Amino acid sequence: MSTATLSHNASHASHEHTEPTGWRKYLWSMDHKVIGLQYLFTSLLFLFVGGGLALLLRWQLAYPSTQVMANGDVGNPMSLAFINPQFYNSLFTMHATVMVFLVVMPLLIGAFGNYLIPLKIGAGDMAFPLINELSYWAYALSGVILMASFLVAGGAPAGGWTSYAPLSSVAAYNNTQMGQSLWCVGIFINGLASIMGAFNYITTIVNMRAPGMGFFRMPLGVWGLFITAFLLLLAVPVLSAAAAMLFLDLNSGTNFFNPAHGGQPLLWQHLFWFFGHPEVYIMILPAMGLVSDVLAIFARKPIFGYRAMVYAMVAIGFLGFIVWGHHMFVSGMNLVLSAAFGVSTMVIAVPSAIKTFNWLGTLWGGSIRFTTAMLNALAFVLMFVIGGLSGIFMASTPVDIFVHHTYFIVAHIHYVLFGGSIFGIFAAIYTWYPKMFGRMLDETLGKIHFAFTFVFFNLCFFPMHNVGLGGMMRRIADPTAYEHLRSLQPINQFITLAAIGLGFAQFIFLWNFFRSLKYGAPAGNNPWEATTLEWMVASPPGHGNFETTPTVYRGPYDFSVPGHARDYIMQHEPPISESPVGKPKRAVSAG
Amino acid sequence: MEILLTFIKDALEVLTESLWLLVLFTGFFPLILTSRAGEMGSGRQINREGVEIFEIHWRLTPMQSRFYRFVSPFLVLLFVGLLPAHAEIRETSVWWLPRNVNMFGHAIDFIFYVILVLTGVTFIGVFSVLGYFLVKYRARPGVPAIHSHGNNTLEVVWTTIPVFIFLGLAIYGNEEWSRMRRNTPPADALPVAVVGEQFGWNVRYPGADGKLAKMDPLKVGKDNPFGVDPADPVGLDDFTSYNDLVFPVNRPVRLYLGSKDVIHAFYVPEFRLYQDMVPGRVYDFVWLKAEATGKFQLACNQLCGQGHYKMFGKLSVVPVAEYEAWAKGKAPAPAVTGTSSATPVVSNQR
Repeated sequence: MSTATLSHNASHASHEHTEPTGWRKYLWSMDHKVIGLQYLFTSLLFLFVGGGLALLLRWQLAYPSTQVMANGDVGNPMSLAFINPQFYNSLFTMHATVMVFLVVMPLLIGAFGNYLIPLKIGAGDMAFPLINELSYWAYALSGVILMASFLVAGGAPAGGWTSYAPLSSVAAYNNTQMGQSLWCVGIFINGLASIMGAFNYITTIVNMRAPGMGFFRMPLGVWGLFITAFLLLLAVPVLSAAAAMLFLDLNSGTNFFNPAHGGQPLLWQHLFWFFGHPEVYIMILPAMGLVSDVLAIFARKPIFGYRAMVYAMVAIGFLGFIVWGHHMFVSGMNLVLSAAFGVSTMVIAVPSAIKTFNWLGTLWGGSIRFTTAMLNALAFVLMFVIGGLSGIFMASTPVDIFVHHTYFIVAHIHYVLFGGSIFGIFAAIYTWYPKMFGRMLDETLGKIHFAFTFVFFNLCFFPMHNVGLGGMMRRIADPTAYEHLRSLQPINQFITLAAIGLGFAQFIFLWNFFRSLKYGAPAGNNPWEATTLEWMVASPPGHGNFETTPTVYRGPYDFSVPGHARDYIMQHEPPISESPVGKPKRAVSAG
Repeated sequence: MEILLTFIKDALEVLTESLWLLVLFTGFFPLILTSRAGEMGSGRQINREGVEIFEIHWRLTPMQSRFYRFVSPFLVLLFVGLLPAHAEIRETSVWWLPRNVNMFGHAIDFIFYVILVLTGVTFIGVFSVLGYFLVKYRARPGVPAIHSHGNNTLEVVWTTIPVFIFLGLAIYGNEEWSRMRRNTPPADALPVAVVGEQFGWNVRYPGADGKLAKMDPLKVGKDNPFGVDPADPVGLDDFTSYNDLVFPVNRPVRLYLGSKDVIHAFYVPEFRLYQDMVPGRVYDFVWLKAEATGKFQLACNQLCGQGHYKMFGKLSVVPVAEYEAWAKGKAPAPAVTGTSSATPVVSNQR
């Protein structure tokens, strides 16, 4: 195996094949770094699309157009007249679909997975570069298809991103046959992209680690992506199959999910959530891994309990497959089954708690540098704690009877997905941007962006807990139609104002991102004084990444080792003393 | 112009309404203010390898600490004085749980508060430890970080404690869950059938015999929302209503829930009750006992299509005598037109 790795890198280094240049690079390059950047730019574009959809639906909630007051006053001068109830349903359906399938997954797994895995494990490229490129183009195609659903007759799908059958599977019920069909096709193709990426990552990590890079010398960022790849490989095919069945139900007269002809609506829910719950961890595990790296770098400390962190992620990955039923406590499934799912759901909170305590342990005794990246990583930890704790309410079956499908759960999911994943993504972008583009992001703008994002995020999503406890259902186009929700309307308007602030704050980021491409301070190889392999090469790294395959002598987080002048020792630096600890015990492990 | 004025008015109104939130989040500002960008530039240095590095100092500037010393009494005043006064002029439960009128709701609320205390303590703990670490271990020149790879005893401790807490919560929750859902409803419970359709609620009440006709999901159809056999003698005196439920107070009510087309959900926040109604089956295990009279709204809480947002029904809880008078005034249900409808629904309870 080691010869294979070496010759692969050597071939890149000697430029046996030519790398496309200019714009052609972004069409034909199979370089993992170019593909990573393609993922990055495309998903950032979709981040703004998804955010725009969210602002539209927030506006509708604050100023509903169909308002009928007791005094006969119809309409509201603040309402956006083009949002009718059906379009509102399309808005939240597409907001969630875009954010899950076109933003968070591709940003974490597509962009950072592609860019960082080979660099962090000392490989020249992915194991299957062509499949890697195909994966990106399949993802881009799925994005186009999903966006196209806005243009077809009937409009975009309006059955929620969960697409519960039979609403989604019978055209007469949903009135969006074409949109819903395009959704199925888009999700299917998106699934292909995920599967291609996933087995590529697994093969690369198992086979192409540099000599000395044992599994327990991999940075946690790589571990997170490694475990995520297994989750993708096992969960996504189930969703693809379900989407295919839904497509057939809609268009070919099958009745998998239609009870009127012997189908089973709960089958869809089981299939969807068998994918859907691992999906939650697919979207948080890579962020957990990357944030761990960021915390170690800027606290100048090794990760506290590295192995515990790895085992916790493995446990989350495993348990993630046996908790899907907690989305269905109130669907009327077998009551003994829901008791079992209740227990497994409580148990999966344990590894998350372990990770949080270890993050705190990492900060303990550190020498914390408050860069923008670090602030975002700290926000990740805090917001993830809130999101995790609010999840306990839903995990308790009796309380779930009350809070199920209210805004409480909307608050919860956004604390985990925005407060968790998106802050993790920002931390990762601020950390690895210098590596990707060779220039630093502006710290002043970065901190302003962080401050606004953090404050507006909390102002926007925290009150949703209260609105949910007050009894507000999710997915209703007009809360003022309900007497018991009318008194909550000021909070809804407040949330909308905060959401607008949150949306506009992201333009600071956008400005910073593009401005720094040209005017940012030059980064150098290792601007953060970090230890892992990607920081030993130029920024941005050349084609083939490493001139010669590096040899790894130590774990990923040798910060602040006593007796050293520098407070970090990079993974490829040979040990100075004769201590056997640093020797590459397994030149090639598990190859 | 009018739009602008409305907007400003709304914004001001909302800001005053949400005073305590603003107060709460003032707490976040030290973190942001004190990691001010201005300090970045002054901390820019060249390290031994000649690479530019950033060294950031984390401190409250005298102006900031003066600011916080100045505002803190006002914050305390706001919390202690203004907010309760503010709450009084509100309708009840704007920021919190609505009142509970269901017998089972007490247990749900109790578990809710147990979890709230547990998570609240955990959150405050994590928040304070994190804040303390951030101040104490900020980068300072000449103070190196501790080199530590972890502590296995600690790992065991903070694995074991959550395991016991979470398992305890799960077991306790399950006890209550079983009590609510698995126990058979009392024999004297009033049976009420509620069948959702796009976009309204069919309700069926028993007549003088106190019994509902048997519901068969196989027979549910366009003209027969409840899937009853028209020849069933028990059902002859049943009467129906649409979007209108009346429950007697202090008497158990057993619900028979079903759906004609897509999935709907029976949701009344004041009853702490939510149940999906998947078409093709009849849910017969949900029962409740209203403990107070009042007017409520029954909302559909499972996305069911275009008109989902306005699929609600009136739900009143009235004294038993009033209920009986109301029931007496109702005519028996019209005979259903056919037993086999065009789109029969198949039972999934094999």
